[in-house]
Amino acid sequence: MIGLAKGFSYTLKNLTRKKVTYDYPNEPLPLPDRFRGIQKFYPEKCIVCNQCSNICPTDCIQLTGKKHPDPSKKGKIIDTYDINFEICILCDLCTEVCPTEAIIMTNNFELAEYSRDQLFKDLVWLDENDEHIRRVNKP
Amino acid sequence: MVQELLASPPGLMNFAIFFLLAAILLMVILGFVTYAILAERKVMGFMQLRHGPNQVGGRWGLLQTVADVLKLLIKEDTIPKLADRPLFILAPVIAFAPAFLVLAVIPFTDKLQFADIGVGLLYYIAISGISTVGVVTGGWASNNKYALLGGMRAAAQMISYEIPLVMSLLGVILLSGSLNLNDIVSAQSHGWFIIKQPIAFIIFIIASIAELNRTPFDLPEAESELVAGFHVEYSGFRWAFFMLSEYVYLFAMAALTTVLFLGGWGALPFLGFIPGAVWFSLKFSLIVFILIWVRVTLPRLRADQLMEFGWKVLLPAALANIFLTAILKELF
Repeated sequence: MIGLAKGFSYTLKNLTRKKVTYDYPNEPLPLPDRFRGIQKFYPEKCIVCNQCSNICPTDCIQLTGKKHPDPSKKGKIIDTYDINFEICILCDLCTEVCPTEAIIMTNNFELAEYSRDQLFKDLVWLDENDEHIRRVNKP
Repeated sequence: MVQELLASPPGLMNFAIFFLLAAILLMVILGFVTYAILAERKVMGFMQLRHGPNQVGGRWGLLQTVADVLKLLIKEDTIPKLADRPLFILAPVIAFAPAFLVLAVIPFTDKLQFADIGVGLLYYIAISGISTVGVVTGGWASNNKYALLGGMRAAAQMISYEIPLVMSLLGVILLSGSLNLNDIVSAQSHGWFIIKQPIAFIIFIIASIAELNRTPFDLPEAESELVAGFHVEYSGFRWAFFMLSEYVYLFAMAALTTVLFLGGWGALPFLGFIPGAVWFSLKFSLIVFILIWVRVTLPRLRADQLMEFGWKVLLPAALANIFLTAILKELF
């Protein structure tokens, strides 16, 4: 009988307690800074060193560079940069290897699409993916 | 108004008036069922530290049940090939009709009631027993062993708990000296029967939860054990009818508890200026809340525990209550 009373008072007290649920699709989940989400790309920082493409274990990064438009400067600038999220495993190696921090992880993880070719993200898309970017990017 | 109508000679006009009144009551009941289901889900959600429905119809989920019912109504109507077709179609009707019939005798206020039968309480008990037949019919006609098992369980449970339910009411009948629900309410003007008959009240609440097939006595349905009990093969609007009858019974049982133990539309002392309808709905809502609260708190009983509890605990307690009431009534 005491057990029953305990149970009833517990459920009654629960009425006013704080809820444990998240308002998920309306508010982003609180995620740690080291979360590995979809990359953000800074075209102006990229020096076309190809290290990200080389280190990628699934070979999902394709990039091309072109000569710098200002002839007095050396080096290249980025022309196209594509990540194929059908095979990307979000392993964080490309952001670790990048010498200029041109590619950074974010906390975005929603990759559900209606068609597979929409998972093929290009330079413009990755540049515009500028929310919830990782603040400190140290290996 | 209703009293005059009840005494007036039969005729087409009276038939039309009563038909209209019944239709209005049905609409009110449907509204109640819609929001009782929402209230149940909301209270369950809050007690389980979540919000419950909050997407359809504003942040309170006010249209959630409407959407659910709409989905049920536009679903395909499936009848198994080897089912007993006439009985399969008839079963939801048999289950629902008594649930609505019993509402006729419930006095909502001193003016608002649909029939004033001398043996109103007996009528309620007798008619509500019929819905067991609907459940068994549904279980048998489905031609499915799980449905049959669920139907048999339901029949066993509902018949076993009908007895303590009626026995617990004998104490109330002894004190009021009448089976008429109006007389029972007026007998409570000096003190509600929940104070004079606390044991009967507790037995009645437990037995009524078992009659309503709600947790912790929801063995006939038992989602996690029997697939869905007697209505495995039902879908769409036929299934909706079973659910509807369950919630109409919830309405009827809560209303009956209010009338029998909480003084019906009677007011608390010094608060007589509040109208009877408000009192009735307040007490009624309290009973509905208690039923939901019990559902959230307690886990389902085992089948053998259920029968033992009904026959070895509730029935002797109810019988002892009758003798105690009789002795006390003789002495004072």
